[in-house]
Amino acid sequence: MLPQNDRQRVAKMAIDLIIKAEKLSRIYVMESAHVVGLTNINLDIVVGETVVLKGESGSGKSTLLALIAALDRPTDGELSVAGCNIKNATEDRLTRFRRESVGMVFQNFNLLPTLNVNENIMLPGLLARRDNLSVKKKADKLLQWLGLSGRANHFPAQLSGGEMQRTAIARALINDPAIVLADEPTGNLDSRNSRIVMDLFQEIIGNGKKTLIIATHSTIADHIATMRLYLKDGALQFL
Amino acid sequence: MINFRNLILAVVGCLIFVVSGTLAPASENLLCVTGPCHLKFPEDHGPHPGFRTEWWYYTGNVSDKNGLKFGFQLTFFRSRIDNKSANTQKSSGQVSAWRAQQLILAHAAITEISEKKHHQSERMVRQAVDMAGAARKRDRTHVFLRNWSLDLMPEYHIIEADTGDFALELTLVPMKKPVSHGDQGYSRKGQKVESASCYYSFTRLKAQGNIRVGTKTFEVDGLAWMDHEFSTNPLEPDLEGWDWFSIQLDNHTELMAYFLRKKDGTYSDASSATFVTVSGDSVHLNRSDLDLKIMNTWKSKQSGANYPSQWRLRIPKLYLELDIEAVVNDQEMKTPETTGVTYWEGSVSIAGFLKGQTVSGMGYTELTGYVKPLNVPM
Amino acid sequence: MTLFRSTNFFFGLFFRFSIRHMAKFPGRALVVLLGISLGAAVFTSVRLSIHASLNSFNQSMEMITGIADRVVTRPGGRVPETLVGPLLKLPYVKSASPFLYTYVQPAMTGKSPFLLIGFDPILDRPFRKWQLQNSTLSDQGIWLDLMRFPYSIFAGQPLLDDLGIKPQDGLTLEHVGQSAGFIVLEALSSEGLALVEGGRVAITDIATFQEFTHIWGEVDRIDLLLDSTVSENQINQIHKMLPEGITLGMPNEDQLSGQRMISAYQLNLSVLSFVSLFVGMFLVYSLVALNAASRRKELAILRSTGASAKLIFFIFIAEGGFFGLVGWLIAIPISSVFAKYLLQGVGETISTLFVRVSVDNLTLSAWEIFVSLGMTMFISVLAAFQPAREAMKVFPKEAMDIGQPVATHRKSSRYLAITGVLFILMVWPLSSIPPPENFPFPGYLATFVLFLGFSMLSSWSLEMVAKITEPALLYLGKEPAWLAGRYVHSSGMRTAVSVGALITAVALFSALVIMVHSFRRTVELWANQTVAGDIFIRSKMADINRYKDPVSQNAMVFFNNLDEPVDIDIYRRLFLNYGKNLYQFEALKWDVYLRYGSFFWTEGNIKTGLQRLKNGEGVLVSEVFANRTGLGVGNLFQTSIRGTWFELPIIGVVRDYRTQGGVVYYSLEHYQDKTGDLNWGGVRVFFKDREKIPDEAVFQMRNRIIECCGDSVNVTLGTQLREAILKIFDETFAITTILLLIALVVAALGITSTLTVLVLERSRELNTILAVGGSYGQIRAMIFWEAFLMVLTGEFLGILCGIALSYLLVFVINKQSFGWTFLYGMDLKTLAVSYPLIIFTALAAAIPAIRMVFKQPPANLLRER
Repeated sequence: MLPQNDRQRVAKMAIDLIIKAEKLSRIYVMESAHVVGLTNINLDIVVGETVVLKGESGSGKSTLLALIAALDRPTDGELSVAGCNIKNATEDRLTRFRRESVGMVFQNFNLLPTLNVNENIMLPGLLARRDNLSVKKKADKLLQWLGLSGRANHFPAQLSGGEMQRTAIARALINDPAIVLADEPTGNLDSRNSRIVMDLFQEIIGNGKKTLIIATHSTIADHIATMRLYLKDGALQFL
Repeated sequence: MINFRNLILAVVGCLIFVVSGTLAPASENLLCVTGPCHLKFPEDHGPHPGFRTEWWYYTGNVSDKNGLKFGFQLTFFRSRIDNKSANTQKSSGQVSAWRAQQLILAHAAITEISEKKHHQSERMVRQAVDMAGAARKRDRTHVFLRNWSLDLMPEYHIIEADTGDFALELTLVPMKKPVSHGDQGYSRKGQKVESASCYYSFTRLKAQGNIRVGTKTFEVDGLAWMDHEFSTNPLEPDLEGWDWFSIQLDNHTELMAYFLRKKDGTYSDASSATFVTVSGDSVHLNRSDLDLKIMNTWKSKQSGANYPSQWRLRIPKLYLELDIEAVVNDQEMKTPETTGVTYWEGSVSIAGFLKGQTVSGMGYTELTGYVKPLNVPM
Repeated sequence: MTLFRSTNFFFGLFFRFSIRHMAKFPGRALVVLLGISLGAAVFTSVRLSIHASLNSFNQSMEMITGIADRVVTRPGGRVPETLVGPLLKLPYVKSASPFLYTYVQPAMTGKSPFLLIGFDPILDRPFRKWQLQNSTLSDQGIWLDLMRFPYSIFAGQPLLDDLGIKPQDGLTLEHVGQSAGFIVLEALSSEGLALVEGGRVAITDIATFQEFTHIWGEVDRIDLLLDSTVSENQINQIHKMLPEGITLGMPNEDQLSGQRMISAYQLNLSVLSFVSLFVGMFLVYSLVALNAASRRKELAILRSTGASAKLIFFIFIAEGGFFGLVGWLIAIPISSVFAKYLLQGVGETISTLFVRVSVDNLTLSAWEIFVSLGMTMFISVLAAFQPAREAMKVFPKEAMDIGQPVATHRKSSRYLAITGVLFILMVWPLSSIPPPENFPFPGYLATFVLFLGFSMLSSWSLEMVAKITEPALLYLGKEPAWLAGRYVHSSGMRTAVSVGALITAVALFSALVIMVHSFRRTVELWANQTVAGDIFIRSKMADINRYKDPVSQNAMVFFNNLDEPVDIDIYRRLFLNYGKNLYQFEALKWDVYLRYGSFFWTEGNIKTGLQRLKNGEGVLVSEVFANRTGLGVGNLFQTSIRGTWFELPIIGVVRDYRTQGGVVYYSLEHYQDKTGDLNWGGVRVFFKDREKIPDEAVFQMRNRIIECCGDSVNVTLGTQLREAILKIFDETFAITTILLLIALVVAALGITSTLTVLVLERSRELNTILAVGGSYGQIRAMIFWEAFLMVLTGEFLGILCGIALSYLLVFVINKQSFGWTFLYGMDLKTLAVSYPLIIFTALAAAIPAIRMVFKQPPANLLRER
């Protein structure tokens, strides 16, 4: 209801924890069999941290990211992200949370094919009902920063993989979220583009105000990590 | 509800009110033959619509100039429809032209004797709207059914029938006056007085004309025989049919004989014959005067009936002994569309002795009741 | 062996690849199956119902016609019976049978009239077959009993059952002025003649028939059986022996003209029922297309592991075939339910409008089943064709591709639209092609091309609508509406197809509403102006007996001596054939009629025309007659009626909506002068004082007429007659309305299924929106707006298409099918109510799709490839 207040509260918590998980579990019920996604995760992440989340395929990396992004709810335990109780918050609250507190980057970019680069970037701002003009300004800035100014009116199908992922990063940042989540962001990119993406992430966390969580099974993000987590069979192991 | 079936049964018998008279009224105005017919001509050549059944029967044997022999038959039947007026109608009294009292039926046949082929045809319509009729106007009797007809006039008769497959067109000149059978035409056909018909014949008619079979037409001449008979009552129950012979001998005499067959295989006492002398006088013969032996039989593949095909007829009273033989075995008549009766009617050849002299001749024979007992009026 | 193995392999693969996939999403397949089976059921049941009616009609006609080679008739009258004898004497006439028939009314039973046939049972034997149930009467004598017992009949068992009587019972029958007691001798066994009119038939001897009906000296016709070798010359001889006005024709002319009348109705109903199946085609297309598109990767894998492009093509064709076959199987029980209702409706409609048929049960025709299966399969396979071709083009290399799915190309939409416009432009010239006899093929082709053209426009129109409405959308519906617009703008063929279905349904709806409205309004005007008269008098059962029996003598005397403030228009109506076309010839008293009634002229000069008509200088013909015969103003009407040759110029063409052929109007006085036929077919009574016609006076007059001649004539009030006309009209279109509604239901199913498919197909996109901050509400709103845009586009194009179609229906198809046109008029009120209703319904159809959003947890979807 009062986004301004929220932001102030997040700022206040900066010295404190931005993500707190206690006995967090996510069990999928699939045709009578119970599949464990995450089990008994306890986790504290402080503002400004760059977390690299590692693990084999199916170890629960994406599940954890989805929970933090409020795309899913825990089946057990507690999860609080940027002051939002993911487990019990109303759907409206979660929507507001997704708009304002997280930005998400996917391995397969997930751009909307019917929107051009500019529109894709502006989309979260518009969905958040922010002032059109300020969203546009911010988008222009992001485009420039990402070197995509010339591509603003292109559609995703006309872009290279690197360009698409840069567009996706811009989209994640348009609402200036406190947390940026990246799920295998370089998984579909060549090494040159992977480096570019990692450089961008480094810039994002440069000022220390954003928390970044990158899920990957490669070593590409190791050099920027302030915290490394390792997931195995849904359970967390600190490295 | 009125049960009409019962009504049908009720009118079958011919009830007699006046025993002594010749013509007695039956139920629903049917007349019965109960005594001498006192036939008068030309009046009695014409139809007698008061009786149930009547026929004009022409048979004969002719040949063309090349000696090709043919037998022929053309018969016109008149059969009375008993209109049952029990279902009273509230009409204006006007009657449809189709409301007929009589049916006219006809059978025609030609036997190609040398080819051993038998052709036949039948027809029937009601006597209405100029489709068929039987009437006498002064001395001319005219019976017709569609384009088949007979004209009976004092000097000659003309018979015509075109069936499509075959046709005949003959002028017949009587060589003797008509002969009344039985007691002045009163021809007994059973034990009861009313089991009888009025019956006369032209026993010798000179025939001349054309016969067509398929597309071939033959100019023919020869001899013909004509029967005219009317009656009301059906055969008595113990009878199953009859064997009838018309015989024309070379010596200018003729013989008509019929044998009524009882269901026990014997011939009824009502069987009789008429011998016609050269001068045209007739001799009536009783059952006791006649002796008929079957010499051979023929079984029809179509009907399964077993017909006699050769006879020896002896009449000791006349010193007459004749062998009669069918010239063609299959001269069976099937009439599903008209009378529904299957019978044998065909040309026969005759050879024998009369008072020690050999005689020969030709004739026609009719055999009925061999498929099932005949129950139509005589 | 190889063939067997390869088919075996194909179906094995089809089962594993396609059927298992469908089983994973049973809901989608079920909607499609439901749609296609509804379409197939409607199509099948309509076809079967009409087939049953047509069958009954043909059977009746064939049994009545018998095996005659020629038939002697007298147009406009009866044949003298005296011809029978001479005809029978011709050596090449094998047989001749006089034949009479009429509908008679069982007295005081409240039961409907039945057909009484009168003939000579002996003469008729070669022509028509009939047997008695219990031939206990001697086999030879059965025919004799009809002759022996005056006023006896043999009756069909269904008739006896209906009347609740049995053999040997009596019953009283009525015909025009006569009534008489009859006796039922026996029941006919159900073969031959006893099959006529479903067994509601009785036969009697010709003498009884004539005495009962007072038809003296005449018969309806004489059937002839000719020698097989009959020559042309001999036929001419028969012609020559027939008096003036008596014709020697082929025996099945009545059957053919009846079939012609039914066939137009049959075709129209078939086409209408086909629409549901056609709309169902869009459903199949959308699902097969989804399967092909969403499984590109799998296809690529299949290809890369060795499947040929042809195999892929046939797998998807087989999917279409599968929907067709299963849909058709499901349709069987649905059809049997539909058919039960349709059977009666269609039968009654055909009986009221064209020819009497009596349909008791469905006759399953192998041909109709084959047609229905074939059509369903054809439609389904055709629908799968395009997706199958797309699937075939998947490169094996795509198996290695990852990442962003490719947005559909948009170039083709303009190309399609141009083709669509070209198609639409072809409609006019196509519809002007003169049709082959009574078969409105060009009209239907034009309709099909019109639908095709508009469907092709849909993709481009969606883009345009989305583009044009973008600012409005952003203003009205904020970002969900804007997103929806963006999606619709570039979503390509997928949405276009369901819009195409909607266009079809809306167009059909609009066109039919307009047509029925125009038709009804015109008929109403016609009924009020042309069907003029305050009281109508005609012989009892005149309609069903086609005015064969003139008005009785005492009625003529009554009207001749009527001394009231009324005018009397006497008319004579004859049912005749002009060439192959049945028409009604009506001679009337112009001076009386025109004082109270009028015509809608479509051709000719009214001012001079009316005077010329009064002078007997020509005839006025109905539009139907003109269109059927190709004759117009200035042409000559040439025919022989009751032995008199008529050669008259056509003075005008007028609208007329009698269903049993066209009408030719002529002056009664001149008709009587020419033919000497002084019989009356009927009387129209007009009250002279038009200002106030007191109901009481009308009723009094009616009562007086009934009192004088009620036993021989039917008396109908003008108001009742006109009401009855409109009632029949409404009943006729009831079936149309039902078929239309079913088509709309299938179209709604189409929208449901398309939107659901769109939702399912885009679940990753929708979840992305969710992930980047979209709320559930926003996403649902977006789907709603998408539906709205699609419905709006579909409805807009549908209305345009519908207006074009309504012109085709009113001025081309009706003209080509039935010979008439109507005054064009939009039913604005109905349309104004209906269009929002359709939008509303279509949006309601989007609800399942909206509910479908986020049935699955979004997180995994975002990773799914």
